[in-house]
Amino acid sequence: MNCEESKEKLVEYIEGLLDESQKQTVSKHLKDCQTCQTEINELTNIQNRLINNSQEITQSNLENKVMDNIVREQNVMLKNKAAKANPALKLRKNIMKSPLVKLAAAAIIIIAVLIGLNPFEPGITLAQVIKPILNSRTIIFDMISGTDENAMTIHEIVVDSRIRRTMSNLPTMTMIIDMDNEQLLSLDTVGKTAFYADIKGDLGDMTRSYIGFVREIIRQLQEEQVENLGEQIIDGKKAIGFQGEGKNEQVTIWADSQTAIPILIEVRIGQEMAFMMKNFVFDAQVDESLVSMEVPNGYTLKDAQVNLGNAKEEDFIESLRIWATILGQGVFPEAIDTGATMENMPVLIQKLQQLNIPEEEGTKMGIDVGLGMLFQQTLDVSGNPWKYEGKGVKFGDTSKVVFWYQPKGSVTYRVIYGDLHVEDVSPENLLK
Amino acid sequence: MSETDKYYVERCLDGHPDDFRHLVRRYQGVLLANLAGKLGDKDRAEEAAQETLVRAYFNMSKLNKPDSFFSWLLGIADHVAKEHHRKEQIQQKRETIISFSEEIPPTEISDDYSLEAAITELPESYRKVILLRYYGKHSCNEIAKQLNLPLGTVTKQLSRAYAMLRDTLQQSQQATNNEV
Repeated sequence: MNCEESKEKLVEYIEGLLDESQKQTVSKHLKDCQTCQTEINELTNIQNRLINNSQEITQSNLENKVMDNIVREQNVMLKNKAAKANPALKLRKNIMKSPLVKLAAAAIIIIAVLIGLNPFEPGITLAQVIKPILNSRTIIFDMISGTDENAMTIHEIVVDSRIRRTMSNLPTMTMIIDMDNEQLLSLDTVGKTAFYADIKGDLGDMTRSYIGFVREIIRQLQEEQVENLGEQIIDGKKAIGFQGEGKNEQVTIWADSQTAIPILIEVRIGQEMAFMMKNFVFDAQVDESLVSMEVPNGYTLKDAQVNLGNAKEEDFIESLRIWATILGQGVFPEAIDTGATMENMPVLIQKLQQLNIPEEEGTKMGIDVGLGMLFQQTLDVSGNPWKYEGKGVKFGDTSKVVFWYQPKGSVTYRVIYGDLHVEDVSPENLLK
Repeated sequence: MSETDKYYVERCLDGHPDDFRHLVRRYQGVLLANLAGKLGDKDRAEEAAQETLVRAYFNMSKLNKPDSFFSWLLGIADHVAKEHHRKEQIQQKRETIISFSEEIPPTEISDDYSLEAAITELPESYRKVILLRYYGKHSCNEIAKQLNLPLGTVTKQLSRAYAMLRDTLQQSQQATNNEV
């Protein structure tokens, strides 16, 4: 091998891309040739500089900043685009108008922020990092919905099985949730009214507080399912990351490298849902009255009892009817998922008012739409196959499929058509 | 994690904005290096890299070939860097006018990023290869696949890029030595 040939091969040599015999030829030439030795030294020199520099530069983590910026800009764009119909603002305004519609909307939002839990593969310790999450009696944190464009922040104070929850898009509403008794107390801090809602049934069984949900996932993770993500800067602090994956969930925990206290937890569930939790305070002194289920002094209790317990197929079909007839003017809409539901709540309230639908009936419709959404969320988190195919289908069309899903433990599929009749369909016929 | 750029671009366009995260993770290092080279300062590079990524996200529907996301992204970064330069020049001119001084001090490029500065001066195809190899932590094989080039071309480009970087760095070294 001469110098010319050797020089050509040096990069491949360093990169380990040569086969054994070529490698030996180059090594041998290098031993004998001073010039080529200098050449390779200079090469590795510059390579080392590149590696060092890249290590320093790639320490920065822009991910969350960029994603936050995107959400923020998207919100600004949405606001500008829909100055006439900003969903969040409209929602708030309409909610304030009527006490019963307010209940309906509140119900929807409550449903939207409770999430299902799907049991998955069994259990671990990431001992240090997860200790405060599992064992703290009180935890305070903020939860941000990761995919919702109108991303609201939910602030939670958790004391044992009680939760005090406030949401950035409904600043005058506070909810206190008693997970043990599956009851919810909603407080309107401006109107000084209160009401109780029942969250027993499916919802009670399937929903947990966010922290409870994260706890379950963590308990069920196997050590070998957890990937160490190494160190990164999170919120200006050095943090160690762990990522665990279940069948249908993924949880990433970033904890302070020094104290092992969690800084950021990201959770993904099913096809669509993602949220993150941050600004944690563990074992803080919390005034117990903040999570009391008693109606506070000065508040009037509304006797309307709202039952949010179960989301059955009938409820879902009822919600489809409302989507098609009231929201869609005879045609099924493009989407009916959580995002679409949240966005359309204000539209629904407006339509109900235009159509002069009595408040009681309107409230029921609001709750039906909410339960329909919950039904889908339930399918989504339980990992059962389902699909909405109703876009553009005319209400009353007996031949077109609007929605299909596979109930838990069932071989056949339930298929809902444009006239809302339902058929049991075997898997081989589903393709049609 | 090993999905292609095209996959994530299409996911974003299909209404899964959160998948943009993966592209951020993949290219933040490359962008920061490129922008630190152009702007000579880490904070400025971070700011510009964020701006680049946010801009890319909102203009994704204009990307004709999702395969060429990286080249397109780098193009946006160069544009953002230019804008930052222009803004700074205007700012400096204002300050000069205010201080009644005749001289406009040149933007300082810190020595810390002389290597990155040299990278940004490389011909386009060499720049890409170096950025992906070191700041994107791609292997030569991955680069070949991503840029749709034969492996031999990638190693040749790397080899030439090293030589050019070496020359540039030696020259700037000499220049500083002469000044001292």
